[in-house]
Order: sequence, then structure tokens, then C-alpha cells
Amino acid sequence: MSQARDLIGVALNGLTARKSRTLMIMLGPIIGVAAMVCAIGLTESAKGQLQSQLAQLGTNLIIAQAGGTFGSQNPTFPANAVARVEAVSSVTGAAATANLSNVVSVPVLGAKSYYEAFPVPVRAAGVGLPSVLQVPVTSGRWLDLADLRLHTRAAVLGEGIAKQYGYLPGEARTISLNNANFAVVGVLGPVTLDPELDNAVFVTEWSAQHVLGTNGEPNQLYIRAVPGTTTATANAVHTAISLGGSNQVSTQIPSDVLQAAAQANKTLQQVAFLAGLLALIVGGVGIANVMSISVIQRSSEIGIRRAVGHSRSKIAGQFLLESLFVGLLGGLIGAALGVGIVYGVSAISGWVVVIDYKTIPLWMGLALIVAVVAGLFPSIKASRLEPLETLRLG
Amino acid sequence: MDPTTAETVLEQPLLALEHVSRMYGEEVVVFALRDVSLRIMAGEFISIVGPSGSGKSTMLGLLGLLDLPSAGKVRVAGQDVSRLDDATRSRVRGDSIGFVFQQFHLIPHLSALGNVETALLYRDMRPRQRREKAYDALEQLGLGARVDHRPVQMSGGEQQRVALARAIVTDPLMVLADEPTGALDSANAAHVLEIFQNLQTPERAVVMVTHDMTVANTAARRISMRDGEIVADELLAGSAA
Repeated sequence: MSQARDLIGVALNGLTARKSRTLMIMLGPIIGVAAMVCAIGLTESAKGQLQSQLAQLGTNLIIAQAGGTFGSQNPTFPANAVARVEAVSSVTGAAATANLSNVVSVPVLGAKSYYEAFPVPVRAAGVGLPSVLQVPVTSGRWLDLADLRLHTRAAVLGEGIAKQYGYLPGEARTISLNNANFAVVGVLGPVTLDPELDNAVFVTEWSAQHVLGTNGEPNQLYIRAVPGTTTATANAVHTAISLGGSNQVSTQIPSDVLQAAAQANKTLQQVAFLAGLLALIVGGVGIANVMSISVIQRSSEIGIRRAVGHSRSKIAGQFLLESLFVGLLGGLIGAALGVGIVYGVSAISGWVVVIDYKTIPLWMGLALIVAVVAGLFPSIKASRLEPLETLRLG
Repeated sequence: MDPTTAETVLEQPLLALEHVSRMYGEEVVVFALRDVSLRIMAGEFISIVGPSGSGKSTMLGLLGLLDLPSAGKVRVAGQDVSRLDDATRSRVRGDSIGFVFQQFHLIPHLSALGNVETALLYRDMRPRQRREKAYDALEQLGLGARVDHRPVQMSGGEQQRVALARAIVTDPLMVLADEPTGALDSANAAHVLEIFQNLQTPERAVVMVTHDMTVANTAARRISMRDGEIVADELLAGSAA
């Protein structure tokens, strides 16, 4: 026991006596472990952000786009498309929007020519759209049944367009749609699952037909399905809308895109992890190199120790223990550095930190193994040095 | 104790070489030492002299158990150490022999105390006890105030005294010195030689390898070597011992 204590003392002494060299050989395990902790931590934290978005938005939203019959332009759904879709038992809610082409929205007088050149999309939307999207109205209110009944010229701005128009929350603003004045009654919050809606102006279906002179037939449907039935519901929507007719429907599940992004992060994680592993192995080669040089530089010390009675195994143990401490301490510092980087980057990016602390001892263990294996050859070399040669007697 | 046994013990050499040869090379064999026999008794102060290539270093390596003979036996207190495994031979070396080298050979990153303590490691000794023993050895050699100094902070004479403290701290049977005054000025050399003479006790032998006849003549017994053989083994009259 006391011999082991002596050995530990000698190894620690050897490391602390040459601090810069020790730090240099420690860089391998530090970088390797930090890279591996970062690889997992950063990609998991980024994925955690996506997953929390998915949990918030749900994975049960379906967007159906009117495909029309072959060769038709501006295809639309039948006027009762929402009712047809809501008849599907796994649909919990649906709302339609219609793209109103040839409608120019002008926020202020004098900006007409600009907005004619760069028109803002205007959509007729159903009163249930925010609840189907599960997106709050950030200012004012959404279009409601009273607007439909009283034929008010009300408009709601998407989040992006509100910024573009310089609309202030609660402001009484009148905008012009094809020279007809509309009152801005609210702003729809950001729609992560369909960012196109952020850059649209919304009006009621009545206004679309009677004020703006379009047919107001929907060309896009937003459908919420019972969780777990999204794909089956998306398939059922085709039949429900066309009812054996010629209407073509294309559907997409926008959350799939986010899930694909999370999957892409997994690939990035694997690449980063492999890079960390490579850094660790290169670090191991560095340890082997520096330790080998160190054995040559310390040959006199080895000779002295042999002369005062230290056996070959004690000399090998001393150098092997030095390597082990390099791996242990390097792994510890690397893990702390990695965790620090994950916290720092997550704080900057607004991510929720996700670190699987259970895996960290695994990476540290790996660093330890690499360091010990790297130190094995120099340790054996040290133990085989002949004291007669290193002490140059006579 | 049985008087016969007691007599046997008294007559038993501390260290003996019995028909020892040391050869190097495989295709062309070179004899560094050829059929050498030598008995070193307790209380002796011996110098080994000879020109370069006479086999002094080889003899030193064998006496210090740092090398193994190609033929013959090396006995320490009657035990043949030639066939011992490395761990046992290292322990016998650590317990029985204290080394002093021409270039002091102190470990540069350790203090004087740390260097002396090195000889006491792996002996199941408490760190405090080890420190006290090392401190006593340094104080015995007049270095009580220099225990925390590292080799670079000390003069050559002081470094050699630290090396001497390291050699005697284990209370060895034999102190083996290789040109102990070779790197010192005359004043320091004289001081170190005086210490050497004091190191010799009735239980301990001092063996000094040198090419300096003045130093060699301070010993009580002088062994002269040439071409790997002992050519003279003489007791010196009027030596300090």
C-alpha cells in the first residue's frame, strides 16, 4: 500500500516538475474529450430546440394544396372543402385560405407603385385558422364571425408583414387593398410550420368575394389530425376532397421537415464525434512521442533511480502512472471544457442545454485508455534502460 | 551464538567476486573483465585504480549489482546475486550499496531532501519517517540549512555532499564511489575525501574507483587493474585509515 503511495508520489512529482511539457501532452486528451462532449452536447441541444418546437407545434398538422385538373391554372378546392375534410373522423379541425392574386395591398399613401412592383400576398382566411395552426394572435384579434356577418373590411397582418409595414401593436391603421380601405384589427403570431403565412395579409372570405372581386375559393387547407393518425388522415383527405371527382390534392406534413432537420443533426453529431475520437487518437500518438523523448531526456534520472534500488517494474510503473494521470486529468479538463462550451453556445443560440452526463465518464475512460496505451511503450523502454549506460561510470 | 558460526560470519566478506568474467560482443568477443576474484571485508577502505580501458567501470558495475557477470559469481553477504530476478537484485542493491558518482547525478527537479528521500522509496516507510531520516543524513553532512535547495542552487561540493547523504541514508554495507572528487576543486575534494574516511565504519566498507593516485593512496588497500585483470592488490602503509 505504502509502495503504491510512493509510486503515485513519484509520478505526480515527475509531472509537476515539468508543467509546460505536462500541459502539452495533456492537450490531446483535453481536445479529444472536449470535442466528443461538444459533438454530443451541441447537436443534442440543437435537436432539443427542434424537439421542443415540435412538441409545442405538434406533429399532427397537415397542409393540403389544391392540385387542380391537368393543365388548369390557379387550381382551387371546392367551396365546401373544409366541411368535406371535417367529415373525416380523425380530423379535429380544418381551416382554409385562398390566395388572392391581382390584389395589391398598400400600407400607406404614396407606396402604391412600390407594392405594385413587389406585391404582398393577400389571403382570404377562415375564422378558425389560428386555432388550427395553434398560433396566437400577438396583437389585436383575428377575423371573426362578426366580421363575416357585418361585412366589415377587417384585415389581419402576418408577423413579417406587420414589421414590414411598421405596424405598432394596438395601432389604428388603415391599409388599401385594390383601393378599398381595410382596418388592421390584429397581427398573427409567427407560424413556424408554414412561414409563408408570416408574409401575408388576411381578409375574410366575404371581403375577398364582394370587396376585392375574387371568387374566394380556397386553394390551401390547414388540417389538424388526431395525434398518431397524421399520415393516415393525410391520405384520407385526398378522397374526402375529391370525392371521386377530378380535384387533385397534394398534402404535406410540415413537422416532417423539422424531424428531417433533427435527423440531419444526427449525421453532424456522428461526424463531430468521429473528429473528437480522431483528436483523442492523435493526442495518444502525441503522448507516446513526448513520453518517448522524455524517457531519453530523463535517462540519467532513470539510472539514478535504478542505482538506489528501484526495480525495472517500479520505473515502468512510474512512467505508466504519469501517462495515466495525463489521461485522467486531461479527460477531466476536457469534459469540463466541453460542458462549458455547450453551455456557452447554447446560451448564445438560445438553446436548452441537453448534456447526457452519464456518457461523460465513458469519454474520460476512453481518454484514460488511450493515454495508458500510449504510455506503455515509453514505460517499457524506460524500464529497459541500462543504468551503466545512462550513468556513464568510470 | 555458536562461536564457530560467529567466526564464520566475521570472516564472511561483505561482497565477493568469484572468478568473474564480463564479455561483450557475440561474433567478436571482447573481455572487459577476465577471471577476477575479489573479497571486500567490513571496515575496509579500498581504492581501485587503473588506466582507461583497464576494466574499472565494468568492475564498478558488477560490484554495484548494476551489471551481471558473463561467468563467475557475485556474492553479497554470502548470497549469490547473479541469478536473482531484477526486483530482488534491485532490493539487495538498494539495501546494501550506496553510490557516489563523479557528476553527482542528482535529480534536478528535486530538492536536496527529495534527492536523499529517493533512496528510501518503496521501503514501506511513512513519508514523515522518510523525511526525518533524509534530513538527519543531510544534517550529518552539514547541509541542514540547504534541504530545500535544488541542485542548481548548490555548489559542486554541496551537491556531492547531497549525493553522499543519499548514499549513506540507507545505512548500506558498502559505499561505492566513482571518481568522487573528479569534478571538485582541491578544497572541496579534500573535504569530500575526509568525509569518505569518516564513512568507513567497522561494519561498512568504502570502495573508491579513481585514476588519481593521490586520492587512491588515501585508502588502506589499493587494487590496480590493467587489461581487465587485477595486477596488484596491496595494503598501503601510513594511509589515513
